[in-house]
Amino acid sequence: MNFCRYAALRRQLLIDPQVLKNGSCSPDVVMDNPLSQNPDSMWGRFFRNAELERMVDQDLTRLYPEHGSYFQTPGCQGMLRRILLLWCLRHPVYGYRQGMHELLAPLLYVLHIDLELLSEVRKVYEDHFTDIIDGFSFHENDWTHKFDFKKLPEYMEDCNGSESPVKINSLGELEPKIQTIVLLSDAYGTEGELGVVLSEKFLEHDAHCMFDALMNGTGGAVAMAEFFSPSPFGGSHTMFPPIIESSAALYHLLSIIDSSLHSHLVELGVEPQYFALRWLRVLFGREFALEDLLVIWDEIFAYENTKFNKPGTNDAESNVGVLNSSRGALIAAFAVSMILQLRSSLLATENATSCLQRLLNFPVDVDLLKLLAKAKSLQALAVEAINSTPLLILPRLHGRRNAGFTKAHIPSLDLTSPRTTLNMAHESYWEERWRVLHMEEERKQGSAASAEKQVPNRKKGWSERVRLRLSRTKCDPFRSKATFRKKNETDEGRKNIGGDVDFGHKIPAEVEEQDVKDTNFSTSETRCSSGCPGNEENSSNISDLSTPVRGTNDYVNMSGRSSVASNFSAEENDTDSVNFEPLQANPESSPLPVSELDPDDDTLNSTQNYHSVIKQAAGIKERKLLSDKFQLFWKFGRNINEGTSDRAAVSEDAIACDSGSDCNNVAGSSIVNGCNSTSGISKAEIIDQNLIFSLSDLGQSMLENIQVIESVFQQDPDQMGSLENCKNAIVGEGHITAMAALEELRKISNLLSEM
Amino acid sequence: MGSSGQGQSNFDLSFKILLIGDSGVGKSSLLVSFISNAVDDLAPTIGVDFKIKLFTVGGKKLKLTIWDTAGQERFRTLTSSYYRGAQGIVLVYDVTRRDTFTNLSDVWAKEVELYSTNQDCIKMLVGNKVDRESERVVSREEGISLAKEFGCLYLECSARTRENVERCFEELALKIMEVPSLLEEGSTVGKRNILKQKQEQHTPPAGSCCS
Repeated sequence: MNFCRYAALRRQLLIDPQVLKNGSCSPDVVMDNPLSQNPDSMWGRFFRNAELERMVDQDLTRLYPEHGSYFQTPGCQGMLRRILLLWCLRHPVYGYRQGMHELLAPLLYVLHIDLELLSEVRKVYEDHFTDIIDGFSFHENDWTHKFDFKKLPEYMEDCNGSESPVKINSLGELEPKIQTIVLLSDAYGTEGELGVVLSEKFLEHDAHCMFDALMNGTGGAVAMAEFFSPSPFGGSHTMFPPIIESSAALYHLLSIIDSSLHSHLVELGVEPQYFALRWLRVLFGREFALEDLLVIWDEIFAYENTKFNKPGTNDAESNVGVLNSSRGALIAAFAVSMILQLRSSLLATENATSCLQRLLNFPVDVDLLKLLAKAKSLQALAVEAINSTPLLILPRLHGRRNAGFTKAHIPSLDLTSPRTTLNMAHESYWEERWRVLHMEEERKQGSAASAEKQVPNRKKGWSERVRLRLSRTKCDPFRSKATFRKKNETDEGRKNIGGDVDFGHKIPAEVEEQDVKDTNFSTSETRCSSGCPGNEENSSNISDLSTPVRGTNDYVNMSGRSSVASNFSAEENDTDSVNFEPLQANPESSPLPVSELDPDDDTLNSTQNYHSVIKQAAGIKERKLLSDKFQLFWKFGRNINEGTSDRAAVSEDAIACDSGSDCNNVAGSSIVNGCNSTSGISKAEIIDQNLIFSLSDLGQSMLENIQVIESVFQQDPDQMGSLENCKNAIVGEGHITAMAALEELRKISNLLSEM
Repeated sequence: MGSSGQGQSNFDLSFKILLIGDSGVGKSSLLVSFISNAVDDLAPTIGVDFKIKLFTVGGKKLKLTIWDTAGQERFRTLTSSYYRGAQGIVLVYDVTRRDTFTNLSDVWAKEVELYSTNQDCIKMLVGNKVDRESERVVSREEGISLAKEFGCLYLECSARTRENVERCFEELALKIMEVPSLLEEGSTVGKRNILKQKQEQHTPPAGSCCS
């Protein structure tokens, strides 16, 4: 039916007045002449089409200069052109906008590739084809069709090299992929009722349908056309074009996932639409090579595009824009994971231009699967963000707009949502953390001089960010190792260009490991704020996880493991209580923390309890922030809990993590020097590890820990004196605040044991 | 990363330049030709892109941040922010397409008037694609007279042959440096950043990291 419609539309809209003039129907010469000023006249339309055509052509001739061998062929250009013209004529509101052609081209390419493959398969299994297929009509129709396009070398190789003609007796012996292709091209096969699904004759029709669906979203939220629209989205109650709205939504999501990076970008004045415009309009087409793009699109299109309806509001109000569906959420999540991919280099950058330069020149050598996995892990969060907080986006948007016009505004103030304002206090947390790690590492290497320099301007010091960046890179092997493990499994799926590949079930372990890792840090951030009021100094102590009582060697192992363990706690709604101490005491006996950390069946209950307890306890300080954070983790937990069967996989990661020597080095170096000032924060993180013990046990052990720490503090002054001066300064201050933090912790532990 | 930090101290002045003009006149090509000496075919710009070029003019080391806008983007909402804080604006047309030339006065000059935040900002008219002399439809004289009308610099160049490409940006930079207010902007912006007049909340890190 669509085929017919396409043909009809084509006839109707792509007119040639010359033809009509000579035709049988006599046009009204008064109206339909080339000089007519009437915009509705045949010629008026013709001239408008000509203008449109010129615009389209101008872009098409510049389409994928690097893939010219296919896209620049007359056949391909002609199809692209007709489809685009037709779509634009049917949607005069949008008209043609640059970038539309790059949404269409990949679709056509996929169809072309499939056909290409089909023809190759036919060549190879020619006998076979005539056997299984009622050959007569088939030969007449399709086989005689020749391709206009040059064959892609890799496909030639594929088919000529590896699959030299082999006699095959039944369809079942073929590779599944080839089977599908054969079936889809078989008019009388299983797909017979649909006719020939794969057919070169209908390539253009198919491409048009797909393009139309992509642009209009087939009733769903993500309608790519909206990204080209200058006017507000249909049901939107904001005054901003969808592209701006969506860009803001990306930043909103980023602020939830990584508030420090978000505030860094906002502070520098890096507005999201500068890069998001391109990312979204061509659906990441400019940032990735075509082959990679198809993988990304497969993922995106595999998600539902049905609009979310927020309960309690009517349709119009719940509509927060183009990203308001599962698919939209994935798009947002993917964009955010792209930003996160650049995290360290963005944080190391001190001006907006350089940040934008990085964002607009996305590295080509990224691990795409990892990126996708991350995006999928963030998708649920994105759903929440998009679904639940339209009101948060609006004031920010408004602010941004103002900032655009009145220079005097400080964008960071305008742009920050209430939630992020709360987080602002901790924006330096990450930097602090890494700075400390690296100060100590550096000290170890004897370069005390430069470490000293950092103390005065450590908040914004350029060099420390650099170091920060380096450190992140160092840690990377540990992550990628885990990824690599899963990669092979997914490779198969990846090759399947057209199919609906769902990586979701294959690599969840990696997903969790990554995203939980991210949240983890914020967990301790939260804890930190609850424990120690003036945490500017204290946060520097966070890295000192171990108490000096423990052997350093053990700790090196532990630190690797503990990060996994803490991942786990986050996974179990981050509530459950394993006492960190016993774990630490016999590290060698528990190579897999996972095995000890059996999830309680009543995790949900305990979460609730814990949640409220912590809330009470922390009520003294920063209550709101904390609860905000917990809601976040709650979401995470809920999301992740669904996939409990992946636990085994995660334990693999734990091993990988243990063996990731780089990671251990980084952590290790911090121990060698700097475990003098264990603070309340480490305790806070310890809470995080807890999974087994009951709450009162927790309180008990906290008390013990506090005592240990206090005793250490009392012995410590001598030891501290032996260190460098600059260190002394920090530790001195840290000491005081740490003591204060201990006081707080005492209160908390009392509360806990009373329960 | 060393380079970003080095970059801070490596130049005396920093300017923001904006390239505008119809789609397909060769803005991106002009820019790429200037930056990397390459003359590849380029895909149309979507939204905005920019490049940074360090070069020396009149004994001063300059850092030019050149914003390359999509020709079609003039219909759109974002353009105003591109214009913000630009010290130089290059209006590009294609000498082989008259409509791109007429659009300069019909559309682009108005845009500049509307959005440019900088009164003293230097404008330059550039006729591109002079390598296709046989297809030329806009004469040099026409270009010069339009430039006079706008009160801006004028040059014809070819991104493909690189003829006059360097000179175009050099002249623009020299002219910018002649204007005291722009010169001052350029020298302070280097310490801060180009997009935003950042509040002076922290001491410039340059002193501590370059030792």
